[in-house]
Amino acid sequence: MAIKKRTTKKFKLSEWLFKGFLWVYAFISLYPLVWMVLYSFKNNEEIFVSNPYGLPKIFRFENYVNAWSQYNVPQYFINSLMVAVATVFLTIVLSMMFAYATSRMKWRGRNFVRTYVAIGMFIPVQAVLIPVTKMVQTLGLTGSHWALIVPYTAFNLSFATLIFYGFFVGLPIELEEAACIDGANIFQTFFKVIVPTVTPAIATLSIFTFLNSWNEFILANVLVLDQNLKTLPLGILFFQGQFTTDWGAMGATMVIASLPTVLVYTLFSNQVEKAITVSGAVKG
Amino acid sequence: MKKYFGNKMAILVFTLPTLILFTLLVFYPIVQVFYKSFFDWNGLGSGVFIGFDNFIRLFDDKLFFLSNKNGFIFAAVITLFQLSMATILALAVSNLKMKGRNFFRIAYFIPVVLSVTVVCQLWLSIYNSDYGLLNRFFETLGLDFRQNWLTDRKSAIYAIAVVNAWQWMGYQFALLLAGIKSIPNSYYEAAQIDGATPVQAHMKITMPLLSETYKFCLLISVTGGIKAFTEMFIMTSGGPGTSSYTLTYMMYSAAFRSNEFGYGLAAASVLVLECLMAILVINFIFKTEPEIGGE
Repeated sequence: MAIKKRTTKKFKLSEWLFKGFLWVYAFISLYPLVWMVLYSFKNNEEIFVSNPYGLPKIFRFENYVNAWSQYNVPQYFINSLMVAVATVFLTIVLSMMFAYATSRMKWRGRNFVRTYVAIGMFIPVQAVLIPVTKMVQTLGLTGSHWALIVPYTAFNLSFATLIFYGFFVGLPIELEEAACIDGANIFQTFFKVIVPTVTPAIATLSIFTFLNSWNEFILANVLVLDQNLKTLPLGILFFQGQFTTDWGAMGATMVIASLPTVLVYTLFSNQVEKAITVSGAVKG
Repeated sequence: MKKYFGNKMAILVFTLPTLILFTLLVFYPIVQVFYKSFFDWNGLGSGVFIGFDNFIRLFDDKLFFLSNKNGFIFAAVITLFQLSMATILALAVSNLKMKGRNFFRIAYFIPVVLSVTVVCQLWLSIYNSDYGLLNRFFETLGLDFRQNWLTDRKSAIYAIAVVNAWQWMGYQFALLLAGIKSIPNSYYEAAQIDGATPVQAHMKITMPLLSETYKFCLLISVTGGIKAFTEMFIMTSGGPGTSSYTLTYMMYSAAFRSNEFGYGLAAASVLVLECLMAILVINFIFKTEPEIGGE
């Protein structure tokens, strides 16, 4: 903002205090993270007794080796990755097709159908936990990654279709006309002409959906019972119950679980924030 | 072109997968929540219709009122903390002349992208009464302020709410920051010419123009409070005793611990209705407020 502050002496002091406040909050926001990383390099004695906040005396990389080799961490990681990638892929493809049919194609009931899917924005996952669990069992998805991929996709669809609708509705009709004259059918036109015009939206939504499903806990907690299908958020919890003796390895697991999302965010921070703001505008 | 855009086959291929998935996993379940809340149902078979009995029992249950009270406390704590912090921090970071804007922006937002389990584990260690960071911090300062943050009946719900407030502050911060950026600079220049201080300018320009954003922030934190679950599930298991129960927790334990699915769904119906009420009330409040500034 281009407000030039009137720099009287009184103002300088308050400005100085304000700056201090910003730093203090940044510290509060980041410190638990830093603490977690340091924790992951310590042994039990350091964590609890001699050195709870400082830098570790020796960086114990073996905590990571232990977490990775002795516990189920690689499996959790792969499960999280598979579920997140499949959810992103399905959400993007399905919602794009749906948004295309409801925004550009002409048929009766398209507005009704569009509104119907949009009401999903107002349904909290918590509330439908029980029936969704029953449905996943009825569909026979329990015991595979689909038990998470299918509900995650379903819950991400409402938002994604709204976003793509917004993009498609403003495209010029000439896009399809030209493709039609060239002899392309509607499917070819959709995938070769329409989809490439919304790549920025695809990128933003992919990141958003990835973060959501990587961190999802409430559904996973009731839908996954098999140890070998657990995702990282569940894996960390399991750690707490089972291996309370090896806190360093648990710290290492937490760092491993957080690394992908922190990395995605720092690399694409603008996109992530854009997605969040769009979701704000849509829901409000 | 008419034939092209009216291709029935294509319409089916494009819309059916989404419609089927959405109906089976979102729409049908929400209908079931209300329908099955009138049944005595143990999760197997179809249950017995018992009218309003589940709701009568619910309104007679002390735990139901405690859960609602906790939801209210949770919502109040996170709303107050997040809205005030997010406002101050977003105004500061939106200042173009500020050094290290990107660092602050990322620092404030980063807790949002962490998994809630990681965050809860972290805070469990911070709150631990023997070796936790918080008690050690007070010790270092020489203050006798040791607390059993999570095992005290009175403080548990507040301690849990702080975790959520801390983690999701960045979300509202990002929303407000984007809102502030969309306000044209010329408004502030005009205010400056009229002799307004930065604080006055923000009170008279920024706040009124961001009313839509504030409405949304309020919606998320209030409904977030009503729906609260994961933090208590991981950090206290609803305890000590039942002191940190919420509606979602009540539903969860009725269904998945004591197999009273019908009763759990009655709690879930109330949850949905409360969220809808919150949405309606907040929308109403923001509608009646006089429009200042304008688009």
